[in-house]
Amino acid sequence: MATNNHNVLPRGIEPSEFLTAVEKFKALLGAENVLTEPSQLAPYMKIMMPVAESEHAPSAALTATTVEQVQGIVKICNEHKIPIWTVSTGRNFGYGTAAPHHRGQVILNLNKMNKIIEVDPVLCTALVEPGVTYQQLVDYLKEKGYKLWVDPPAPSAIASPVGNTLDRGVGYTPYAEHFMFSCGMEVVLANGEVLRTAMGGIPNSNTWQTFKWGYGPYLDGIFTQSNYGIVTKMGFWLMPEPPVFKPFAIKYDKDEDIEDLVEMFRPLSINGIIPNGVVLVGTLWEASPTVRRSDYTTEKGATSKAIIQRIRDEHQIGAWTAYGALYGTQEQVDVNWRIVTDTVKAAGKGIIVTEEEAGDDIAFTYRADLMRGNMTLVEFGLYNWRGGGGSMWFAPVSQAKGSETRKQVELATRILNKHGLDYVGEFIVTQRALHHLIDVLYDRTDPEEMKAAYACFDELLDEFTKHGYGVYRVNPEFMHKVADSFGPTQRAVNKTLKRALDPNNIFAPGKSGIDLES
Amino acid sequence: MAVSTRWITTKWSLAAGILGLACLLSLAAWAEVNGSWKNGEEVYAKVCGYCHQTGIGPVIKGRKLPPEYTVHVVRNGLRAMPAFPAAFIDDKALREVAGYISKSAAEQKQEAENER
Ligand SMILES: Cc1cc2nc3c(=O)[nH]c(=O)nc-3n(C[C@H](O)[C@H](O)[C@H](O)COP(=O)(O)OP(=O)(O)OC[C@H]3O[C@@H](n4cnc5c(N)ncnc54)[C@H](O)[C@@H]3O)c2cc1C
Repeated sequence: MATNNHNVLPRGIEPSEFLTAVEKFKALLGAENVLTEPSQLAPYMKIMMPVAESEHAPSAALTATTVEQVQGIVKICNEHKIPIWTVSTGRNFGYGTAAPHHRGQVILNLNKMNKIIEVDPVLCTALVEPGVTYQQLVDYLKEKGYKLWVDPPAPSAIASPVGNTLDRGVGYTPYAEHFMFSCGMEVVLANGEVLRTAMGGIPNSNTWQTFKWGYGPYLDGIFTQSNYGIVTKMGFWLMPEPPVFKPFAIKYDKDEDIEDLVEMFRPLSINGIIPNGVVLVGTLWEASPTVRRSDYTTEKGATSKAIIQRIRDEHQIGAWTAYGALYGTQEQVDVNWRIVTDTVKAAGKGIIVTEEEAGDDIAFTYRADLMRGNMTLVEFGLYNWRGGGGSMWFAPVSQAKGSETRKQVELATRILNKHGLDYVGEFIVTQRALHHLIDVLYDRTDPEEMKAAYACFDELLDEFTKHGYGVYRVNPEFMHKVADSFGPTQRAVNKTLKRALDPNNIFAPGKSGIDLES
Repeated sequence: MAVSTRWITTKWSLAAGILGLACLLSLAAWAEVNGSWKNGEEVYAKVCGYCHQTGIGPVIKGRKLPPEYTVHVVRNGLRAMPAFPAAFIDDKALREVAGYISKSAAEQKQEAENER
């Protein structure tokens, strides 16, 4: 089949059946929105996981711009049992990029379905389509003169609020937990019906974007990190720009300081003194905008403690750097600043750095940008540490207790180092829990390092599960394994829902380990 | 907090990429889509510049990069650099940004640091 991407066919589908479906897609969307040639699909072959690209090669990629087109696609997929992997902007770096769960799925890229349907500057709400990027939304708010902020994840400009929220991503302003600040969805179901969740069910409702819960079971959650529908609209809340924004950093010298840091920041977070997603950043992450491993060594394997200490000394980087910000009127910020500085001083360690003191320090500047909803991609510097484009986020959740975070850091570092890789990690504090984010960085052009990275990630999952820890999100290679770690009952319930909502198994089989065929 | 922004030259990867172009590139194969970008300068400012203007990616302005090379790297990615599909940067916008980068003048600071 010369017209298809490297002869990649969906599981169990005959070439003629697939070609018929492709012709129907072309009739529905126009040939220019149905990509099947290898040269057209090249952008979708770029992955960061430690396996061959061919294992996640799509059979085709579609773009749609209307709900009716999405319904039409769903109909064709049902008729021919074509699996469809939907992305909003497909910038899910470290969690699979746009790659489908396995070879032979058809990607539905909704990037061009990008209308900002409504922004209410009074209630501070937005309703957007999946392809709207944070950059597009920020440009729109500026153009309208609305004093409202978005809450971007670190790939801000090129990612989307809908895609990020559907994978339950996080940001850095006080609205950091994105799903918490989402409100109302429109979903195309596998039977072709269009569901508007919660208050969206009431004809002429004007509270769809203001009241999350509606009536009866709260359904929005089952459309996140799942494969039960295609989301075509999502509402969320925007933060009013505060009169005063005061970002700050506090640097700590020692690895073990993480324990005291968490104990100190937890109450400040739970009590709302520091309202945003505070981050506690390890040395190599903090160094990533300016330091490359090759500046210090070209030897393979884990980076020595001596080198990490040299990086700290030569670049004045702490073992841990805490970033947070205060928001509000001048009076509110002044009061809270006093509480923060008194708390730090009472602990007897830590160097406080204000925005004025940081000057144009690139690490501080990009953190401050993220905490005020500005666009930046400086965090991509992480990929320069080892180079070679290999990355997987290992993202266990931790209790917000110092002893727990230290235990996790030590466990992860031991496993990473055993496989010749480095601990490049940070914690995002969301009151009672922490997202522990570790970028498992490796060189994809080095076959040995690819193997090591795979084995390392596998062992990280095994060992953390043994200790009772679970990850909040993962790339497609490990979705089944992580689903197993959450136990057979959760897996069975997810499958029951799948059978009820998508009996032909057309939506993203394998997402979060949910697949009627395995 | 000292900042030591370093610009990495990528002569080797550029050469390899250009050599590989002849067999890999078929511009006509990409769908012609009317995207929402105003022009190449806007794409540079709102996508490329966030990395290539901040020391995260190599400097690409002022190096007379062949537009075909830029088009190839954008569509295929290159090591740490992600690939961008036509749904994100349409073919017309991509040609424009590749032309813009190719014709751009070096910024003084970058020129000096590129020498290193
Ligand atoms: C340096 C760096 C830093 C990062 N920092 C962060 C961070 O701070 N916070 C964070 O959360 N992530 C972070 N990431 C990971 C990731 O890049 C972001 O989460 C990004 O927002 C995800 O890509 P996207 O927005 O294009 O979503 P998409 O890739 O479009 O969507 C993500 C997933 O959601 C599902 N989905 C998307 N759209 C739909 C739909 N319409 N219907 C049904 N299902 C759908 C699919 O399963 C899809 O795979 C980082 C990545 C890098 C490289």
